[in-house]
Amino acid sequence: MMRRTGCGQAAAARMGGGADERGADGPQLRVVDGEFYPDWEAVYRDNVDRVYRLMFAKVGNRPDAEDLTAEVFLAALRPLRVSASVGEVRAYLSATARTVLAGYWRRTLGREITMLTDDEGLESMPSETAAASDATARAALILAGLPENYQRILQLRFVESCSVREAAAALGISVAYAKVLQHRALRRAAQLEVDR
Amino acid sequence: MSARGARRFVADLLRGRRPRSFRADDTDVGQLRAAITLRAAQPGSATPREEFVTDLHRRLADQQATEQTATPLPAPRPVVDSTRRRLVAASSIAVAAAAAGAVVDHTVISRGPAQSGAGGEQTLIPSTGQWRTVSASADLAEGGVQSFDLGTVVGFVARTGGALRAVSGVCTHLGCRLALDAAARRLDCPCHRTTFAVSGELLRYQLPVPPAALPQFEVREMHGEVQVYAPPGPV
Repeated sequence: MMRRTGCGQAAAARMGGGADERGADGPQLRVVDGEFYPDWEAVYRDNVDRVYRLMFAKVGNRPDAEDLTAEVFLAALRPLRVSASVGEVRAYLSATARTVLAGYWRRTLGREITMLTDDEGLESMPSETAAASDATARAALILAGLPENYQRILQLRFVESCSVREAAAALGISVAYAKVLQHRALRRAAQLEVDR
Repeated sequence: MSARGARRFVADLLRGRRPRSFRADDTDVGQLRAAITLRAAQPGSATPREEFVTDLHRRLADQQATEQTATPLPAPRPVVDSTRRRLVAASSIAVAAAAAGAVVDHTVISRGPAQSGAGGEQTLIPSTGQWRTVSASADLAEGGVQSFDLGTVVGFVARTGGALRAVSGVCTHLGCRLALDAAARRLDCPCHRTTFAVSGELLRYQLPVPPAALPQFEVREMHGEVQVYAPPGPV
């Protein structure tokens, strides 16, 4: 059960400075802006994590993040002239990611829930740990505006992936009330978002 | 009534599933955005699964392999000379289309400096065309540029050193409409910071594949009017 094992891990991961399990593995290419990628595989290896991260931050779930990442590479690697520099390739992948994300929202919900702005691209995206703390900071910003019980239910359910039952137990409330609380908390968070 | 849709969307997110689609309304947007932002902060979410990375690598390798052997698309109707540059242009446009399954000629992936932006241009000669007025001669002084929209085509006509030149007003990358910067005598693409000269030459781009120069129109001056040879207006 993914959910169970995930529940309550957030604090630990934050303390540890990010969950970089794959960091040391494999032939992780380190390519600097202005250098050139030797081939499409290098383009892929060097950017797949970044694109995935970008997408996950915008859709919040793995199946969609994977599909959209695949869509970006399948679309972008076709006409990509590999002798383009790393910076150019990343700018190009970012532009493709923007189009792909916008298309995804149009298809699924009929309006753009999240967008990749010009500042949010692969170029500006630092390391995995930095990206993770970025995501944490954005979530913290939302939570900061809420009363404490709202904060806690959202933290437990969304960030720490606890089940309603687990969250209810942690807060010492009934499951039914936990559901109500979560609903209200999210509504309030949405309002803050609008006011901001 | 989308409150239910939004609730289901959030429930799916929490289960780590692909959310089901629904018609979202204004009140949903904030909630969904907040839910996504919170979800994005879950630990470990920044890393794709190994199996996914490996599998996508295989799909891309397959794609690259098919394209090595694929025959080029049949050239589009010869509206424009079918040069290699034309294929370069077509392939840029196909970036967006690729997701929808369009096939792209592989030659465009070949290495080497791009020939497209520099120098020569193509002339757009419609199969069925007519001379259509785009400006009064008096309105197009030396050094002037005018935009025109004939329904079937849009473009810009410029008088430079006494000579008239008319170019398409659509970016050769993904088809965004170019905006005239009259002071700088430049055409700017609003989408990806590509810039063309009013003569159609590519001036600046930030794309791995340089977009082709803008197609030219035949242009003439008759009875105090500037005219381009273009398809008849839409009915």
